Amino acid sequence: MPDLPKKKVGIVACSGEELAEGTVTRLAALQVLERLRPGDTVTICLPLFLAGGQGDRAFAKFYPTIAIDGCAERCAARATERYSGEPAASVVVTDVAAERGLGPLAGRRRLNEAGQLAVAATAEKAAALVDELLEKKGWSRRTGAFVEAAPAAFEAPAGAPASAATCACGSGIPVSTLMVDGQAVTLAALPLILEQFRAAGKALADQTARELLEAVGVYNPIPGGAEERYAAALLHEYQVFCGQEQGKGTSA
Amino acid sequence: MSPNARRVVVVPCSGIGKTYGSVSREAAYVITEELRPETTALVALSQLVLGDPAARAVVAGAPTITIDGCQLACASKMVRESGGAVAREFAVLEVYRRHRALKPRGIAELNEGGLRLAEALADEAAAVADALTADGQG
Repeated sequence: MPDLPKKKVGIVACSGEELAEGTVTRLAALQVLERLRPGDTVTICLPLFLAGGQGDRAFAKFYPTIAIDGCAERCAARATERYSGEPAASVVVTDVAAERGLGPLAGRRRLNEAGQLAVAATAEKAAALVDELLEKKGWSRRTGAFVEAAPAAFEAPAGAPASAATCACGSGIPVSTLMVDGQAVTLAALPLILEQFRAAGKALADQTARELLEAVGVYNPIPGGAEERYAAALLHEYQVFCGQEQGKGTSA
Repeated sequence: MSPNARRVVVVPCSGIGKTYGSVSREAAYVITEELRPETTALVALSQLVLGDPAARAVVAGAPTITIDGCQLACASKMVRESGGAVAREFAVLEVYRRHRALKPRGIAELNEGGLRLAEALADEAAAVADALTADGQG
């Protein structure tokens, strides 16, 4: 199984524009992403679960994810579970405000003092959850949950490039699109898998095709009965990838 | 406008990590809170993502203005997927191209350029809302 990017925690904020609590979620998420746990966290815009691609919908399987919601409707947690995977943890601003005894939150454009305190408290709570999730072992990207026996698919080798995914508009899970039976299929994590197979010196052979299929199947559903065609398409993609990489080496 | 008349719905993008997302949201607030509070209403994108029946009914029953922060156009896509008709689709980048002097910066807090760009966008959207309201009354 290939080593994929360094373990990070996903943050999904409801961002509810109608309420001050929604503004709190957005600003708290930003605090975690940019100040409290930069490098350990990534985010995605909630609507991308529907408006984006397969890589976006794989987000909560790829990263143990904390949903930050403004109110008891829990749009972020419920939508994440419905379209991507069950969040590993959840924070609700109204609960945090009640726990801290913060007064009414107001000012969806410019938060009042209670709102600003709620931002800090929510961010602090989310950052603590990030630490807990990073400490836990055994995140399975196949099931999108922690498991007892850890499949060693998480920690990248020292010096490996970290995922560049800290942007709000896209999950940052690398995807490739290839043709299978004349249809375009988008596969999450394929670029990384190809890179690692090439680094391992895997030959263009049937055995490699089977291994590619197995690795890709960890992160993507492979339709029953289509395995051989996927394996052939993956091997072809690997051949193209190796050719391109070799070309870079020669022209450099 | 009578209290029972339908309002023009405004749906901004939910982007939290980019300046243009912040501009889209600020513009939506300027329209619905300052420029046309009586004739427009804000709907949160997260409710549409979840398929909230009330939010879906609102966008399905009224003309909608969407304001997107990037080319993924989540707001426009979600309104359409929710059964709504997008009467006018704004993209912050397009508006910025018409107002090059208003360079937006900042996410949690927009700079002066970002705030003024949001106002410019809101002015355009308010004119669209007026036209839609007039159509609805005609």
